[in-house]
Amino acid sequence: MRRSHLNALAARHPALFALALLVISLLINVILQPNMFARDTLNSNMRVFLPSILLTAGQAIVILGGGIDISVGGIVSIVNTVLATRVGLDGSPEKMWQFVFISLAAGLLAGAINGFFIAYLRLQPIITTYATSFLYAGLALFILPNPGGGIPAQIAALYRDSTPLNLPLAFYIIAIIILIWLYISSTRYGKFLFAVGGRAEAAYETAVPVTLVQFSTYVISGLMSALAGIAITMLSGSGNADIGNPMTLNSITAVVIGGNAMSGGIGGVAGPLMGAITLGFIQNIVSFAHISTWWETFVKATIIVVALAAPGVINLFRSRRA
Amino acid sequence: MAESLSARNIVKHYGGVVALSDGNLEVQAREVVALIGANGSGKSTMSKVINGVVVLDGGQLLLDGNPVHFSSPQAAKKMGIATVFQELSLIPQMTVAENIWLTREPLNRTGAIDRKRLNARTEELLALFEGTFKARLHPDDPVASLPADEKQIIEVLKAISSDPWMLILDEATASLDSRQVQRLFELVKQWQEKGKAIVFVSHRMEEIFRIADKYSVLRNGKTVGAGRMSDINEKELVKLMIAKESVFGYTRGESKASKVEPEVCLEVQELRTDYLRGIDLRAHKGELVGIGGLRGQGQRDLLLSLFGDVPYLGIIKLFGRQTSFKHPREAMKNGIALVPGDRAREGLLYIRSILENLLLPSWRQYGFPLRMGKAKKDAAEAGAGLNLKMAGLQEPVSSLSGGNAQKVVIGKWLMRSPQVLLLDDPTKGVDVGTKAEFYVLLSRLCEEGKTILFYSSDDEELIGMCDRVVVLHDGLISTELSGSTLTKENLVAASLGVLNGGAQ
Repeated sequence: MRRSHLNALAARHPALFALALLVISLLINVILQPNMFARDTLNSNMRVFLPSILLTAGQAIVILGGGIDISVGGIVSIVNTVLATRVGLDGSPEKMWQFVFISLAAGLLAGAINGFFIAYLRLQPIITTYATSFLYAGLALFILPNPGGGIPAQIAALYRDSTPLNLPLAFYIIAIIILIWLYISSTRYGKFLFAVGGRAEAAYETAVPVTLVQFSTYVISGLMSALAGIAITMLSGSGNADIGNPMTLNSITAVVIGGNAMSGGIGGVAGPLMGAITLGFIQNIVSFAHISTWWETFVKATIIVVALAAPGVINLFRSRRA
Repeated sequence: MAESLSARNIVKHYGGVVALSDGNLEVQAREVVALIGANGSGKSTMSKVINGVVVLDGGQLLLDGNPVHFSSPQAAKKMGIATVFQELSLIPQMTVAENIWLTREPLNRTGAIDRKRLNARTEELLALFEGTFKARLHPDDPVASLPADEKQIIEVLKAISSDPWMLILDEATASLDSRQVQRLFELVKQWQEKGKAIVFVSHRMEEIFRIADKYSVLRNGKTVGAGRMSDINEKELVKLMIAKESVFGYTRGESKASKVEPEVCLEVQELRTDYLRGIDLRAHKGELVGIGGLRGQGQRDLLLSLFGDVPYLGIIKLFGRQTSFKHPREAMKNGIALVPGDRAREGLLYIRSILENLLLPSWRQYGFPLRMGKAKKDAAEAGAGLNLKMAGLQEPVSSLSGGNAQKVVIGKWLMRSPQVLLLDDPTKGVDVGTKAEFYVLLSRLCEEGKTILFYSSDDEELIGMCDRVVVLHDGLISTELSGSTLTKENLVAASLGVLNGGAQ
């Protein structure tokens, strides 16, 4: 009886597991880095996590709608290289904001291209975005073949060092994302998103605009990728066409840890955001634990695999006992 | 509100397959029209043309005499045409309320969904079927957690919630029990009086005669007859559908229980599972034992536990030897076969070939490397023995009609020549022609000495086919009917848990 109760709870709140993981990784992190909650330490952590968090929010929407977007890293790279080459270290703030605008438009366009192929031409999401990921990464490499370029230092500082009310900038942005998500999920569009991800044929027969909803998820993901690209450029202050590459898989992992079903229709955005922060903590833990860089990827991956397998393993043992 | 819809000379093909070549249907407000036809005759396609799910390739739709063109379900919905789908249109991950009101959610001023009004309206709709649910149903319950009959009811409520002038019920009663069907029909009468038109698509003759005013019969994609129900009888209707007589009213020839007491094949004592509360049952060699009762009273659990598919407490003996199967594999080794209730999900690999499906339980017999020649020959024989209509063994099962697909499920088990057959509502969604073939097949299997446990949601079928029927109610056998006590009245009474109508 208790088991079914727990299972029901987990089914209703898929993000519970993500919350548990977040708390555990946070505790370990605090042990390894005792000054973790000092304003500057917190801020330096959060500003590093923020690009992944933004990317994960977009990925979460796509996966909820039953798709997947492997091209997000490519879009991040395009935005990063555009900003680093067109604004420059000595560019004016006006020029920076102008190109921020252009970057957002580029993200929307890249997302719209993905969405067009997948929703209107009905191509496989995984294949399509795999292909466009090369398109976008290739474009970034064309824009900036060797790492370099940059943005004005005062703009970068705005991102790095803003701590309104002694709280990191990232907190406000996370709060805004979650508020927007809470609103969206209580609107018709939110229900359509779950319906399309849950069972697209059924949604179609119920007169849900399936194609438009699918299309929109990739556009949102494109926009969030552009925001992530802007954030990571302001963080690093320079350009590198390879910068987005490792972020794609990271965003997908965060969504899965966050309790969203890869098949779509189950989950939300808050869980994946916790997943993204958890992944950031894991990265911290691995580097604080003085693990040799050769082992770093292995250890990180092991932690993730164990974390992902935990609910299944726990269930297995519980049913053995019953 | 519209007053009439007519579909004239509708043509629809999927790739090279012609689903409809000359479909016609006339529907007036305040009428219940039964759309009848064998499986694969084009009934579902016809209803999908009317509700805009598929776009027609030829012919005309007239709404109140004006030509209309439905390019999408939205278009048909705007015209007040709603459908209760056969393949459920519900989204399992979402709640009852979210599913019913999807695309029509009540909004508040900020554009967010007004949950209070949503739930209140859902409660109103749920009240229509009050008392037919197993447990109280909440608007916030996820649809995935509901049993099939309640999902079907939610589907009905979803369709009616848009207050359409025309409602298409596509096999809506197939998974409902008799009480739920009764309630649905009462509602249909009310809706009809309020000026709605209802198109009723069904295989069940008895229901068609109970509810419909008019009929329209499809055969191989053509409308072959239409008229008032009062001008036709069951036999004539069936004749129209299949164009060959002597199908309905099949009764097993000879010797119901006239033989000397044969060997006990299967014995069950005090069987308990999550649903069953102590079942005692005996089946003899060559006996066809029916399992009756309302849907979801533990019939499925009984069959599954015999097949080693659900854990159970109690004793199961096969030919006097106690068994304890923990996996279907063990049951199969001991000559048990199960034809599951949900053939699409449990019985078949839809996208794989007929050949693979037929041989799936038997590959082991063909050695390593597989003797494909012999396997193909055996499969072809099994197919021919069942009169399986197919383009070839290599075709996917998804290319078959419901009745033929079910033949593949039965065929794959017959290839192992089992001693005990467990059948979970094998004729659900199967056309009358194929049903008749099943009846002949089951009789033959019994004569060969196989033991068959046969659950059916069709009472007529149980009465016509079985030596004996045990009626399950709430996880217990409420009554056992045989011989002269095996009548429709007794069966229905026992299903509802009324004991004085029974035999013992």
